[in-house]
Amino acid sequence: MAAEKKTILVVDDEPDVRTFLSTLFEDSGYATVKAQDGNEALSRVKEKAPDLVTLDITMPNKSGVKFYREMKESAEWRKVPIIIVTGVSGEFKTFISTRKQVPPPEGYLSKPIDKTEILKLVKKLA
Amino acid sequence: MDECGGTDDREAAALLRAQAISGKAKPRLNERRYVRKDGGTIWAQVAGGVVRDSAGTPVYTSAVISDITTLKRAARMSEQRFRRMVEMSSDWYWMQDQEFRFVDVPGLEAPDVDTDVVIGKARWEVNGLAPMQESWDQHRARLRRLESFSDFVLLRYKTSGELRYLSVSGEPLFDEHGRLRGYHGIGKDITERARDQKALEESEERYRLLFEEVPCYISIQDPELRIVDANRSFKENFGDFLGCKCYEIYKHRDGECVNCAVRQTFKDGRIHHNEEVVTSIKGEQLNTLIFTAPIRRADGQIQYVMEMSTNITPIRELQSQLESIGLLISSVSHNIKGLLTGLDGGMYLVNTGLQKNNQQRITQGWEMVQRNIERIRGTVMNILYYAKKREPSWEAVAAPALVEEVCGLIEPKARGYGVALRRDIDGGAGEFEADAKAMRALLINLVENSVDACRVDTKKPSHAVTVGLKGLPDQMVFEIADDGIGMDRRTREKAFTLFFSSKGSEGTGLGLFIANGIAQAHHGRIGIESELDKGTRFVVTIPRSRKVPDQGGKPEP
Repeated sequence: MAAEKKTILVVDDEPDVRTFLSTLFEDSGYATVKAQDGNEALSRVKEKAPDLVTLDITMPNKSGVKFYREMKESAEWRKVPIIIVTGVSGEFKTFISTRKQVPPPEGYLSKPIDKTEILKLVKKLA
Repeated sequence: MDECGGTDDREAAALLRAQAISGKAKPRLNERRYVRKDGGTIWAQVAGGVVRDSAGTPVYTSAVISDITTLKRAARMSEQRFRRMVEMSSDWYWMQDQEFRFVDVPGLEAPDVDTDVVIGKARWEVNGLAPMQESWDQHRARLRRLESFSDFVLLRYKTSGELRYLSVSGEPLFDEHGRLRGYHGIGKDITERARDQKALEESEERYRLLFEEVPCYISIQDPELRIVDANRSFKENFGDFLGCKCYEIYKHRDGECVNCAVRQTFKDGRIHHNEEVVTSIKGEQLNTLIFTAPIRRADGQIQYVMEMSTNITPIRELQSQLESIGLLISSVSHNIKGLLTGLDGGMYLVNTGLQKNNQQRITQGWEMVQRNIERIRGTVMNILYYAKKREPSWEAVAAPALVEEVCGLIEPKARGYGVALRRDIDGGAGEFEADAKAMRALLINLVENSVDACRVDTKKPSHAVTVGLKGLPDQMVFEIADDGIGMDRRTREKAFTLFFSSKGSEGTGLGLFIANGIAQAHHGRIGIESELDKGTRFVVTIPRSRKVPDQGGKPEP
């Protein structure tokens, strides 16, 4: 029997992006879980820790940033690789420079998403 | 009095003494002048008397002599001073008879004045003289009442065309029986003084005019920051509230500003400047550049501070427009990146659906493509509305049909997100005057905003947006209510601010800003009631007919 599929948690407030990424990952042999904000993402992680997270940090109420910090501050989930997917490149730099106490994300991609690039990164990290 | 008395006048002294001894003259006080050996003069007051025996025979004379030289000198000096003062303060002396006709005008020696023209005439009969403050009749009446007068100003037109100002003062003269002999007095040519005074008044007037008309707001403030004076521009824009505190008038509040420039100038006497946002009496917010300068008393103490503010609102508006364009570009490009990702996703699903012959995936992908194209359309429309402040193109719009149309446009999207769209339309609301396209954009923005507020709310199992319409006699009321995430106070207050978005990567921050602009162009308004986690209700009120009726045709140039 083939090894169990690796699970990717797709966090994005935009449903079309969630559908896009989850379909893309499933087509490439991954299992996916979706969350539309940071709070929901945290609940999914608590249910079952994923092998990788793609995270939009530009979501309402800054819940993406909060989720990232909680993941990286937790002994249990610190090792889960996170790929940040955002539309604003400047925002990412601010995000990194103001959070010295938390480690940088394992991956970073800007929208619009390059399918090949994200799959390559996922394969490397997951 | 023995004014001419002196040691050289011994004969007179001897005569006096003889008269006293003989009893012909009574004892009295005499003043005598003595010449000292060195030529100096001594004034003495002599109180003398004759001492007689019981038979009345004079035995000897006695006298008490006091040196009054100092007193005498002082009296003489005082008299001289008085005379000099009269000479200095007047140019000529005049005398009139009982009929107020000039009998003598010594000192009136102006080359162009023929005293013969004056002598024998009353003042009002002299050619070229005109009174300034009171009429000749009033002056004549005053003389008949035998009143004295001072500084009666006359204008004298000289034959050369030159104008002189004369001032005369006078009093009645009486003989020993108390009968009027006439009037006498002095006259002065006060032309130079009057001209100086006039020049001073003109100069003051000029400065006042400058103060009043300078195109900036000037106020003079005392140490309590009370406005004691203000120029016209200030009063027109902020009201004529002299005596009120600066911050009450400028800021409409009851506390001093932090880092008050006026306060600083009172403290250090220097010029300070500041940029402030102030509120006019009409409620307009004005950006002003303020300069303050001290006004000192003669002793150097700062009595007042002058505050001069220039309205720099147009400059700030331009600056903010430039900033807005920059923000618009970054906001729109951010938004488009998100939409492109959605389109990419849709295309991926359609392509892979075709490859896998998966009809469901094709349909899902195609819906994504359609949805994102619709959103791009909305963004572009908003940019156009933002870029061009359009005057509404007025027409009669059927309100129920408009609301129905908007609901029809958004319903598929709402359904896609699991949000129920309910209608509460007053079918008899009728028509109102509006720009149909603009009103449609306004309602789409608000309804979409409500659908989004429901979509991102994970705390409730199901959501609904209700679009309501009520036709009141003079206005149309649209209500868009949702049970989505709601807004906190900060979000509610900033909801209509350009580029403010609480929607993360999706919002451009244009939608509500534009909706509000459209409502204002229709002389209407949008009210927000919202509570975090409960939901939001927008109430749009638009007058049935536009406030300023179009006269037809183009406005006058």
